[in-house]
Amino acid sequence: MANADTIVALGTPPGVAALSVIRLSGPSCAEIVRRICPGIPAEPEPRRAMLARALDPDTGASLDQVLVTVFPGPESYTGEDMAEVSCHGGWLSPALILEACLCAGALRAQEGEFTRRAFLNGKMDLLQVEAVLDLIESRTPALHGAAVHQLERGLSRRIGGLREGLVDLEAMLMHHLDFPEEDDPPVPTPRILARAGDLVGMMEELLRTAPEGELLREGAVTVLAGLPNSGKSSLFNALLGEERAIVTEVPGTTRDALEAVVSLGGFPFRLVDTAGLRETREKVERMGVEVARRYLRGADVILFCVEAERALQVSERRFLDEVAETPVVLVRTKSDLHAGEEPRAPRGPEPLPEPEGAGHGIEGVVSLSAKTGRGLEQLRDLLPGLAFRGLVSSGAEIPVLTRRRHAGAIGVALEELRAFVEALAGGLPAEVAATHLRPAETALEELLGVIPREEVLDRLFQDFCIGK
Amino acid sequence: MTPRYDVIVIGGGHAGVEAAAASARLGCRTLLLTPDLSRLGQLSCNPAIGGVAKGIVVREVDALGGLLGRAADAARIHFRMLNRSKGPAVWGPRAQCDRGLYPRMVRQALEELEGLELFQEMVTRVELGGEEGFGVETLGGLRFQGKAVVVTTGTFLRGRIHVGTGTGISGGRAGEAPSVELAEALEGLGLEMARFKTGTPPRVDGRTVDFARLKLQPGDGESFRFSLYSREASLPEKPCWTTWTGEGLKKVVQENLQRSALYGGVISGRGPRYCPSIEDKVVRFPEAAGHQVFLEPEGLETSELYVNGLSTSLPADVQEVLLRTVPGLEEVRMTKVGYAIEYDYFPPHQLQSTLEVKGMPGLFLAGQVNGTTGYEEAAGQGLVAGANAALKVQARRPFVLERDQAYIGVLIDDLVTKGVDEPYRLFTSRAEFRVLLRQDNAASRLGPLARDLGLLTFRQERALKERLALEETVRVWFRDTSLSPEVANQVLGEGAGEHVSEATRAVELLKRPGVGAERLAEAGGGLVEAEGMRDAMVAVEVEVKYQGYVAREVERARRLREQADFQLHQDLPYRQFVTLSMEAREKLERIRPGSLAQAGRIPGVSPADLQNLMMEVRRWKKDGQPRPTLSSSPASPGHSERNGE
Repeated sequence: MANADTIVALGTPPGVAALSVIRLSGPSCAEIVRRICPGIPAEPEPRRAMLARALDPDTGASLDQVLVTVFPGPESYTGEDMAEVSCHGGWLSPALILEACLCAGALRAQEGEFTRRAFLNGKMDLLQVEAVLDLIESRTPALHGAAVHQLERGLSRRIGGLREGLVDLEAMLMHHLDFPEEDDPPVPTPRILARAGDLVGMMEELLRTAPEGELLREGAVTVLAGLPNSGKSSLFNALLGEERAIVTEVPGTTRDALEAVVSLGGFPFRLVDTAGLRETREKVERMGVEVARRYLRGADVILFCVEAERALQVSERRFLDEVAETPVVLVRTKSDLHAGEEPRAPRGPEPLPEPEGAGHGIEGVVSLSAKTGRGLEQLRDLLPGLAFRGLVSSGAEIPVLTRRRHAGAIGVALEELRAFVEALAGGLPAEVAATHLRPAETALEELLGVIPREEVLDRLFQDFCIGK
Repeated sequence: MTPRYDVIVIGGGHAGVEAAAASARLGCRTLLLTPDLSRLGQLSCNPAIGGVAKGIVVREVDALGGLLGRAADAARIHFRMLNRSKGPAVWGPRAQCDRGLYPRMVRQALEELEGLELFQEMVTRVELGGEEGFGVETLGGLRFQGKAVVVTTGTFLRGRIHVGTGTGISGGRAGEAPSVELAEALEGLGLEMARFKTGTPPRVDGRTVDFARLKLQPGDGESFRFSLYSREASLPEKPCWTTWTGEGLKKVVQENLQRSALYGGVISGRGPRYCPSIEDKVVRFPEAAGHQVFLEPEGLETSELYVNGLSTSLPADVQEVLLRTVPGLEEVRMTKVGYAIEYDYFPPHQLQSTLEVKGMPGLFLAGQVNGTTGYEEAAGQGLVAGANAALKVQARRPFVLERDQAYIGVLIDDLVTKGVDEPYRLFTSRAEFRVLLRQDNAASRLGPLARDLGLLTFRQERALKERLALEETVRVWFRDTSLSPEVANQVLGEGAGEHVSEATRAVELLKRPGVGAERLAEAGGGLVEAEGMRDAMVAVEVEVKYQGYVAREVERARRLREQADFQLHQDLPYRQFVTLSMEAREKLERIRPGSLAQAGRIPGVSPADLQNLMMEVRRWKKDGQPRPTLSSSPASPGHSERNGE
């Protein structure tokens, strides 16, 4: 094969819309576009949209009025010659033009092939590739923000800096091993240890963002718990109702709970309600508190529903004991039934009467009426601070690790670096201690995609939708 | 009738003599041609062999049956183990040698080899031969024929010597003629050439030095020997001396900078950063108060001293003024001027890992012609090139050392994959597997390899066998010997942690920090003093003390080798791989790496390119391209083209 393929795909989802974009990438881009739009000049001006008529290359029939833009490589998304055809949206126009491109010699792009080519042509590192995926998939401002930061190389720079720091350490050590008789004295070990300590600190700081960073992509598991008829379903629907537009129901993922991902205060939460299955569970032994136990283990937050003005029962206290490790919001439901009472403070935790709060993970109490909507806003404000405490407080200062792969690699690097510090401080010879540095560097290099590892790539690119 | 040889080696420096010796030891009829047989293995620069990383190479060359270590032992008049205070993996044995004696020792060793002929003639032409092999022609009009040729001409190719700006004498070394015709002949064969420079300092008359103002640097008195195979008697020792330059020198250099060949614009080639001239030091570090100077003895029978640290290309009159600013040298007389030398080298990307020129089967290059500096670097290459030339003639599998096997492997792999942009010298930093590549274990690392290849003489084989047996004896002693609490605690008493209450095995005690193998062996008794005992002790100590680390490094090396196993055929149509960057395509086309791992070490080949390359190669294979047979040799990813010839 003398030439690389030119690929084509729809860049926008099919369906009724004002516009649709067809992208091409590869050496024959310009040629293919000119076969479909013969009106385009032989040497079109780069990166400038041109109005043209798209024709069927075989029959010459007019297909649509389109805008064509060419992006000569390497200054393009993929680094290759590229072209974009904007046509009218809808079911037919984009499909016909795509078909015409295929007739004219383009090949249908595989999933994620555009971004794959961008990576392979050195236009992006692996972290940026992942950011593109996150950007496309993000449903919440928080993930979107992290993805944009990552795409703009925020995380790449940070990792790259750590890697350079490791190389510096090695250089400091090796200086005096390779040049023992030179004018300069050796770099004092405490200085090397201090520098290593800085790097350890930086890695730890990054790693701390990982648990919440991963939640950014998956949603914080928020389990609704409470006795039967304590108002869980109403709360579930109320939280969903407010965010109806961006809620995804996740039917069929489990058989014993309802799940929905919802954006609260800009962060993704995965609400889990067992209420819908109450009837089918009636025959089963009655647990004191109704909740699918296996969700509890993975819960990031528990919304514990107890009717307003009712003292906690023994079974409820026992439940709180069991989940003492997890942040719990005590939701006082059906507060409209107690309309006569004093209005509570608008936000902030309500002091819990002893002994109910003692030793438990209760982080807040919200008085709520699903019917009137009272208290919903307070709950929405409260939740991000519980599940995404670190991210909320650090703001956009630190890049966020959104994937297990990130945390894994930095974890390896950190472990090696700590071992290095221990070895050097423990008096092992420098070149022995230094054996920990290369593996640490390698871990970070793999994170950036500096070392070829096909499995990583394949898994990564499978996640992509066509056209990106 | 033209005399015929299996292997002809052109040049008698450190690369040349090792190449010729290796070829002869492998049983090839070998001819060494050099313009001056009294300068075989001449120490052209400082009279020292070894040092950090380099000292390990000396031992590697020795373990492979070479001459370097043996000659250094025989001519040594001063010895230091550099980095002794650091870990054993970076110890750097270094010997000052008698400059006059060293070449005689080399010649003696060469003359012991059967099948090796030495002949004094300057070579002017090399012709690529067909079935006849190569034709080699000399200045005297003689002709020789060789099935393989190893070129090891050092700095002689169009060498040009500079002392100040006015000179620019043609020469390969001070007082010796350059090889101009040979350079042209080699260029005519299609070899790419480039230019480097290097320099050497003045020498002074020791009788005019005020030693009272210098600091004495005695040898460290170790009974160390580089060579595993020889037992030459040691010569008396002569000390080195140190002093520091000061403001006076700085002023002289600054005032005369324009008269320096380096700064006066006469020299264009690149010089080594790690071996700067005194001009470079003053210009680049103007704030430094001074620089260290080492005065090293040139020989036992002469008072001449080598002024290490003052390499210069200033005019001769300035050199003397400059010397006299240095404390202790106020009234010094110069015996030889320092100079800078420019010379041609062959950018080593043209070579395979056997040091055979790509596309010119049978032609090998080794030593400084490949852009390196240093006797040790030259010797290591010479040995590998000479051995491969012989193996080629014998139609045997090539001999390639990997990066985890030897510093020589690191050196050659760096040369052929990364190329050079300054004269290349080895550092421990260049090795990924420092902990494995030690000076103490060179014999066990490489000895068996050399033995199996046939690189060792009968006597060497026997010595190797004894050494390996000795190491095993030491290992077993530590494993099986228990020390009574009294004896053990006496050793531990010197601050190595808690005392023991019952008999403890030596190996357990050795694991403790601060407990040395020699001390334990002495306390435990039972090991008889023997040649090589000290190396064996260090080797066992490292094995025991850093067990986990050594194991980790072995594992890391194994994984890296797996990657090296993705072989890249020598016929790959890199230009057609349009998914690779233009730069990568050009580099790969030029260098033609043997494996993916090697490709990854080429500067300018990005990770993305590697990915693409892997896919292109798979596609290329899948598309039913005629897939020429890969080399049958698993030992040498760099040589897959052999079967394609």
